[in-house]
Amino acid sequence: MSRKNKIRVLMAKPGVDGHWRGIITVSKALRDAGMEVIYLGNQTPEQIAHVAAQEDVDVVGLSILAAGHLRLITETVKSLKDQKADDALLVVGGIIPQMDIPDLKREGVDEIFLPGTPLDTIVEYIRTNAPARSTSILVQKGKQVIPGRDP
Amino acid sequence: MSDDSRPKEFFSVSGIPIKRIYTPEEIRDMDYKQDMGDAGEPPFRRGVHPEMYRKKLWTIRRYSGGGGPEETNKLYHKEYELGQTGFSIALDSPTGAGIDSDDPRVSADVGSCGVAIDTLLDMELLLDGLPIDKAPLAVISQTMSTYPLMAMVFAVAEKKGMNLKELRGTTQNDVMTTFALWFLDQVAPRYQRRFAVDYIEWCYEVAPRWYPVSFDSYNYRENGINAFQELGMLLAQTIDYIDEELRRPHPMDLNDFTSRFTFDMGCHNDFFEEIAKFRAARILWYKIAHDRYGITNPESLKFRFHAQSSGCTHTTQEPYNNLIRIAYQVLACVLGGAQSVHANGFDEGLCLPSEQSMLLSIRTEQILQKETNVTNTVDPLGGSYYVEALTGEVEKQARDYIAKIEEKGGITEALDSGWIHGEYMEAMIEHEKAVNEGRTSVVGVNWERLDEEPYQVPLVRANPEVVEKQKERILKVKRERDDNQVKDALEEIRETTVNNQNIMPPVMKAVKAYATLGEVCNVWRDLYGIWKYPITM
Repeated sequence: MSRKNKIRVLMAKPGVDGHWRGIITVSKALRDAGMEVIYLGNQTPEQIAHVAAQEDVDVVGLSILAAGHLRLITETVKSLKDQKADDALLVVGGIIPQMDIPDLKREGVDEIFLPGTPLDTIVEYIRTNAPARSTSILVQKGKQVIPGRDP
Repeated sequence: MSDDSRPKEFFSVSGIPIKRIYTPEEIRDMDYKQDMGDAGEPPFRRGVHPEMYRKKLWTIRRYSGGGGPEETNKLYHKEYELGQTGFSIALDSPTGAGIDSDDPRVSADVGSCGVAIDTLLDMELLLDGLPIDKAPLAVISQTMSTYPLMAMVFAVAEKKGMNLKELRGTTQNDVMTTFALWFLDQVAPRYQRRFAVDYIEWCYEVAPRWYPVSFDSYNYRENGINAFQELGMLLAQTIDYIDEELRRPHPMDLNDFTSRFTFDMGCHNDFFEEIAKFRAARILWYKIAHDRYGITNPESLKFRFHAQSSGCTHTTQEPYNNLIRIAYQVLACVLGGAQSVHANGFDEGLCLPSEQSMLLSIRTEQILQKETNVTNTVDPLGGSYYVEALTGEVEKQARDYIAKIEEKGGITEALDSGWIHGEYMEAMIEHEKAVNEGRTSVVGVNWERLDEEPYQVPLVRANPEVVEKQKERILKVKRERDDNQVKDALEEIRETTVNNQNIMPPVMKAVKAYATLGEVCNVWRDLYGIWKYPITM
């Protein structure tokens, strides 16, 4: 299915780690590649999921560099499910031990990008794997209903 | 025979065009006494002390910490046994921000990239049995949590029977670092600056041998800016503190106010440019202090500095390569005349340092000190046509950059307006682009990258039990303390703040009554509101 709309990406940092260089540089690359980037910065997993649902994003990108990744990702995955935003492609960047990657993917993370991943690789992955959407979104009284998702 | 892959032109990392060869032309117009000077003499180009490492080696000081205070205490004991000569506290993100471990927003970050400290009880555990009067402590704290944290350090030192008038150590207390990183729930830069300067004034009376500020550009540089932006921002920050002091109704004599200033910088990849940067820093600071502010105190005129190998140059791929990078960077720190050096762990791109990487960090510096003889003479690169030319160029570019910041109204205005963050964002984006396009080479990452990771290195994990332990301890402290005493103390902080009096005495009172870090900082949050960082896309 060809994409009519821009890919919408929510970029966020769950928790309170304050290193923001990675998320900014990736956000810029995605925007340069023609995607629509909503930059949220640091928020709790619940708030990230809330915005993901509200903004009806195609992709949720998380940046984590301070070792709390297991808990933060688990909480974010759960919140996305609760907020019915788990159809979005979920990608994570940052300091994630290689040995944790299989578990995290089983949990619901679609891909993990370690430091040193070429920007082009990230852009291509998202372009190829972001869920295809139809162009119409039905909105009923503040509740978004998207074809293909549970009402 | 030429190699077609070699570039046609050469530049330093910061963009300085580099000549094929440097000749006596570079130093022809320099007067040795006036422009160079001996080490320990203005303008201090060659070093801050006449004897440098011949008399006293630089301090081996690892920035470290993680988990709870007891774990970190054990770590510090171990480092000391291995031959470290100073301590440097790495705080976790919540403590760094001045937020208690029981705040639900921070659970996953408690103890994960530094030590968790919530109350005086934690500080007692952290410093238990440590000879901080012999191996001085550096408290790497920059937000408003600095002030209750320092109150805790001094309260513990007093309890140990140490004389605060004699105690040596350092507090970072650098406002720009608060804003180079992102911290949850901070107040605006101008209020932070007020607290920072209050603390310097207070320290001069209470702990006159303590260094109450270490202007620290490490984190500015980690955001991707270049060597003269780094040095420029650093000294613009220093100017800002001095100007703040001068605006006070009864300003201190600047000779006293600046007498315990120290500095802290990163050490990046371009070997000679970083050495030039350190030399330029000494010259520029001397000129600012002496020529601009009329300071004459010899202690104030010296750019004493700590340096740290630059984390952003270390890779996740092939981690042992970082050992080599760190060795070169530490050598540059030493040839540049640093008073204290931190060598990162080679596992910087993977986790908090393992025991192996900690040992190697310390050994990297010890080998330099004991085996290479680079310490035999002062400023061994002095007179090198290349190094002197680079020194002059970095000095000039940094001075121009300070002028640019002054055009923006000074560093606090430049932060408020978002200009500083604009500089960071432009630099980090450009750097990433350069790596992506292959214009900048990173060995093992975008140059000669292997398909498979060849090394298995020991991995350190965050301890998930720390947060529960800290929560329990907060409950215990709150149960056992006198709540009225705490309430009164917090109210006194509020009044003192509003009345523009020095914040440290009531902060000391509150901390000794076992107020938490969050409770103290919340007084200021309630007064001034939360500042929004100008980080946007």
